[in-house]
Amino acid sequence: MSRRARSILLNSTGLVVAFLFAFPVYWMAITAFKTAGDIQTYTPVFIPTPTLDNVAKAISQPHFSDFLRNSVVVTLTTLALSLVVGFLAAATVARARFRGRSGFLLLVAIAQMAPFEALLIPFYLFLRHTPIYGQLPSLVVVYFIFTLPFTIWSLRGFIAGIPVDLEEAAMVDGASRAGAFIRVTLPLLGPGLVATSIFAFITAWNEYFYAFVFMTDAQNYTLPVWLASFRTNFGTDWGATMAASTLFTLPVLIFFLIVQNKMVGGLTAGAVKG
Amino acid sequence: MIETQQMGESHRTAPRHSVAPSRRRRLRRLAAKSLPYLAIAPALITFVVLLGYPVYLVVLTSLEHFGLRELANGGETWVGLANYQRILADNEFITVVIRTFLFMIANVALTVVGGFFVALLLERLRRSVRLALSISMILAWATPAVTGAVIFQWLFDSKLGVINWAIGSLGIFGSWLNHSWFDTGFSAFSVITLLIIWQSIPFVAFSVYAGLLAIPRELIEAARMDGASEWQILRMITIPLVRPLLMLLTFLSIIWDFKVFTQVYTMVQGGPDGETVTLSIFAYIEKTQSRYDLASAVSVIMVVMLLVVLVPYIRHMIKTQEEA
Repeated sequence: MSRRARSILLNSTGLVVAFLFAFPVYWMAITAFKTAGDIQTYTPVFIPTPTLDNVAKAISQPHFSDFLRNSVVVTLTTLALSLVVGFLAAATVARARFRGRSGFLLLVAIAQMAPFEALLIPFYLFLRHTPIYGQLPSLVVVYFIFTLPFTIWSLRGFIAGIPVDLEEAAMVDGASRAGAFIRVTLPLLGPGLVATSIFAFITAWNEYFYAFVFMTDAQNYTLPVWLASFRTNFGTDWGATMAASTLFTLPVLIFFLIVQNKMVGGLTAGAVKG
Repeated sequence: MIETQQMGESHRTAPRHSVAPSRRRRLRRLAAKSLPYLAIAPALITFVVLLGYPVYLVVLTSLEHFGLRELANGGETWVGLANYQRILADNEFITVVIRTFLFMIANVALTVVGGFFVALLLERLRRSVRLALSISMILAWATPAVTGAVIFQWLFDSKLGVINWAIGSLGIFGSWLNHSWFDTGFSAFSVITLLIIWQSIPFVAFSVYAGLLAIPRELIEAARMDGASEWQILRMITIPLVRPLLMLLTFLSIIWDFKVFTQVYTMVQGGPDGETVTLSIFAYIEKTQSRYDLASAVSVIMVVMLLVVLVPYIRHMIKTQEEA
């Protein structure tokens, strides 16, 4: 095969694969803006005349703003808790030498592998005696435990990647150890913090299983539960369902496009070396 | 903070010039020593108490008789391994285990092999096409599991679904209007597998692509100079070098795909006729029937199975940690 023919074959395969990956999302977004007539047809309309009816319908659902608020509150609280606690532990593990350090790291590694779907029953038995059961804080607790191991693991990697010499130089110039860390290392840690936080953000924002089982009161549903029940309640109103899906996916998509480069490294750091 | 507080105290109680220096130094050393433990304490407490206690509870509950009455009034009785015996003697459970493993193996294999090929493709594409493919994959990757399930139901809808229309308009298979994809377990699983690999290939592909970029160019150039074919380069150089990465990605995929619940539950709820019940759904059904003891035993069995499969991964984790 000539070089040129090979290149054309490869690049067209690339385009076909790109089409396959993008199509479901395209189809969701386009359906969200279709008129009922364009949806209720056996011959699909690929480039419709846009309408905002479906979006309006999704937003005007009873309690939509409650669910949105619930999701935002749960997600941001989880994120804050996870970052603060995770950062303290990660900075310590990366910078301090103390007895029990490797034991602690082993604990983090084990916690990271805990299959949370299998722990639904004990979490339920554990939390149902507490006043937060059925309330949003119970989700925050669970999501915080979900995300903490990864947060520590990932932040530790980013902190360890910043040479300690920089801090030592600042200390020679008279800064205290803490001061050197805060003034030298912390500013360099921005990208690492963003990349790590997206994991906690997505976990909390997307989580369905616990939210579905724990939130007995419909008032406390988060958006994934609302979305999953949407179809059951709406039957075949695909326009409104897809509009709701699009609204729900949009924040995640924006975050992803911003930081996807840094996400690949975090989970598999050290693996290429073997 | 602790440090300054203690220093403040010593400042108040002792004359500054005589006793303070040595005591202050001692306090300072003590504070420096305990600081790491104070900093990791919140995380440590989280793992030991908030995670450790539920783990203890699930094991305990699996060894008791624990139904609706015990949930309300307490007074659970110890039954030893009776729950396990009952589950393992249940033919349906064995079917569910086999089904879960087959489903997991199919998902993991397709994800890792597919991701590997997409990574090889990414490396060989023209810049603009590579960008298009990357953005498409980010779209799929970023889609939340619940959204993915809803979208695929719409794509595969029997009447208005675009997939049935597309197959029908190929003209080879006749009309597919009204073909239902969720009537048999196999067909439903196929759609769910498509959904899962659609969402998980991007991460594998991006990771492997990053690994491929780390392979020294000279190595491949040298092999090509010596007359190696593309296939030989792939087999003798590329695959051995990314093997550790592929192993890690395989183990991560096993963790994720073994316990998948959201996609299966939101799409078919274990139906039709229980043909798509996997272990997570099985445990969930036991819970809805208030058999917390059986559900706990299923959970413990799941964890043990996962641990057995993951022993090599755990060893790898510890090894890389020791190197760091």
